[in-house]
Amino acid sequence: MIMHKLVLSRTFWFGIGLLLLVFFFFPATALAEGTEEYCLSCHGNPELTLTMESGETLSLYISPEMLEQSIHAAKGITCNACHAEIQTYPHPKLEYGTKRDLSRAYYLACQSCHSVNYDKTMDSMHAQVAEAGNLAAPICTDCHGTHDIKSPNHPRSLVSTTCGKCHTEIYDQYATSVHGGALIQEDNPDVPVCTDCHGVHNIQDPRLESFLIASPELCANCHADQELMAKYGLNADVYNLYKLSWHGVDVTVYKARWPTIWHESALCIDCHGVHDILKTDDPASSVNPANLLATCQKCHPNAGPNWTGAWTGHNEISRERTPFVYYTNLFYTSFTPVVLWISAIYVLLQIIRATVERGRRALR
Amino acid sequence: MSIPESLKSVENDQAAVLRVFHRFSLGQRWEHTIIIISTLALFLTGLPQKYRTATWSQHLLSTPERLNFIQQVHHIFAVLLTLEVAYHLFKGLYLLSRRRLSSAIFPDWQDISDAWQMLRYLLFLTKEKPRFRKYNFEQKITYWFLFFGIGIMVISGFIIWFPIAVTSFLPGGIIPAAKLAHSTEAIVAAIFVLIWHIYHVHLERLNLSIFTGWLNERDMREYHALEYERLTGENAESQSTGGSQ
Repeated sequence: MIMHKLVLSRTFWFGIGLLLLVFFFFPATALAEGTEEYCLSCHGNPELTLTMESGETLSLYISPEMLEQSIHAAKGITCNACHAEIQTYPHPKLEYGTKRDLSRAYYLACQSCHSVNYDKTMDSMHAQVAEAGNLAAPICTDCHGTHDIKSPNHPRSLVSTTCGKCHTEIYDQYATSVHGGALIQEDNPDVPVCTDCHGVHNIQDPRLESFLIASPELCANCHADQELMAKYGLNADVYNLYKLSWHGVDVTVYKARWPTIWHESALCIDCHGVHDILKTDDPASSVNPANLLATCQKCHPNAGPNWTGAWTGHNEISRERTPFVYYTNLFYTSFTPVVLWISAIYVLLQIIRATVERGRRALR
Repeated sequence: MSIPESLKSVENDQAAVLRVFHRFSLGQRWEHTIIIISTLALFLTGLPQKYRTATWSQHLLSTPERLNFIQQVHHIFAVLLTLEVAYHLFKGLYLLSRRRLSSAIFPDWQDISDAWQMLRYLLFLTKEKPRFRKYNFEQKITYWFLFFGIGIMVISGFIIWFPIAVTSFLPGGIIPAAKLAHSTEAIVAAIFVLIWHIYHVHLERLNLSIFTGWLNERDMREYHALEYERLTGENAESQSTGGSQ
């Protein structure tokens, strides 16, 4: 069996003795109701630790202030809601070799109340990674905390900094992007945090074709919103115009018919970047006119300097911006319809005249 | 040409044996056939590509391989049509250099006045139909509409087929313009052929001269009176049937 060694300070032996006395007068069932006060009488001691089999030192200290501020405490949810297996003192022996094993066992308690979100995590990328043997993959408590659980998105930037605890490189990119910068510096309520694009509990592998092909719609959630874009002076037609473009039509078809087949057509993120999206007028932006050719060349390696002129942008046809398309469109919206109508009317007149002529001949 | 006695009675019942007039050379008839086959194939393989977001198109192009296949077929017929256009132009230039290019198909002021008189006829303002030469103004409109239409399709088609090569010497803005033109001109040309050409060669009268190479005397007299008179030296209005002469 695993041996656990309680390392307690000398002064605390006195406290334990006292507790035993108190315990004598309290029935064991009192614990089941769970009183923080009761547990904290031991676990309120900052020096209470436990050495695990792995040699790790596990602090058993629960800060009463921290516990007080947690969202559970405010709702009257106490220790034994999660630590349901502990009914008595002395506690049953812990059977976990490492801190991680302990966490991975204890977090299962979350599902007794939060079953919907818990079930979602079972479909997540994180659960798949854990199943493949990576025990560092996050569990509920890694993101939400344990005894200090608070609302996960107050402030909103907390969501992204939480993800950034592990995804440091991506967080650093995000923090300098137009979205991340506004979130972190201004606490902007509109810019996306990680979970707005990646989902919350059922986070999927963003490298999968099925995720990528749907990604323009993620952008469109905000960038096609007239009201929201007007607030920032941005054009809310970009998504609809993209869908009409060569790239956009291809993506629409692949999404509708072949969502799992890899395709080559550019998504929003292929040109604008993913976590490092910048304003288009930022000199470092991948779609800034100065950098646009290099961005096109990622897929069209032989494209020359004229090539970027082929990109009509996310803009309506205009004489100033796209004169070739403008005049072509003008030709087909004014001249050709007139020609076709004249042809049709002429043929109709011929039919009428020929019918009358035939009728006359028959009557003759 | 003499007619056997046995046929003379038939002639009197207005089922006359008619003279035929040479109208199109074998080369021209082949050109027309190649244009029909290639433009029809291009139209049928182009339409699902134009309307890729439509459900019916996605049923046809149900896999990426099918899309790829239909594009290959489109390109093969595009090359065929391009070769035909090149042959047509070079033949025209060759004939021009030898001063043998017929002016019959080129529009002139006579066509304007013919069109005006035809309009008056159609509006019951006159009983006289205009008298036409080898090609009437309707046929010239057909030829030149499709001449420029196919020209637009071929040029815009190659621009969007080889956009990178094209932008190495032309501005990039012509790529989306070519895409718009290719996509729209196809429909415009199809509508035009359907209402204009099909009416004139199938419904107004069945005119198969572009396939057979010849036109019968009755049609020559009625639709190409001036050409008939130029060829025969006879009056097209004369009631005597050509067969007996």
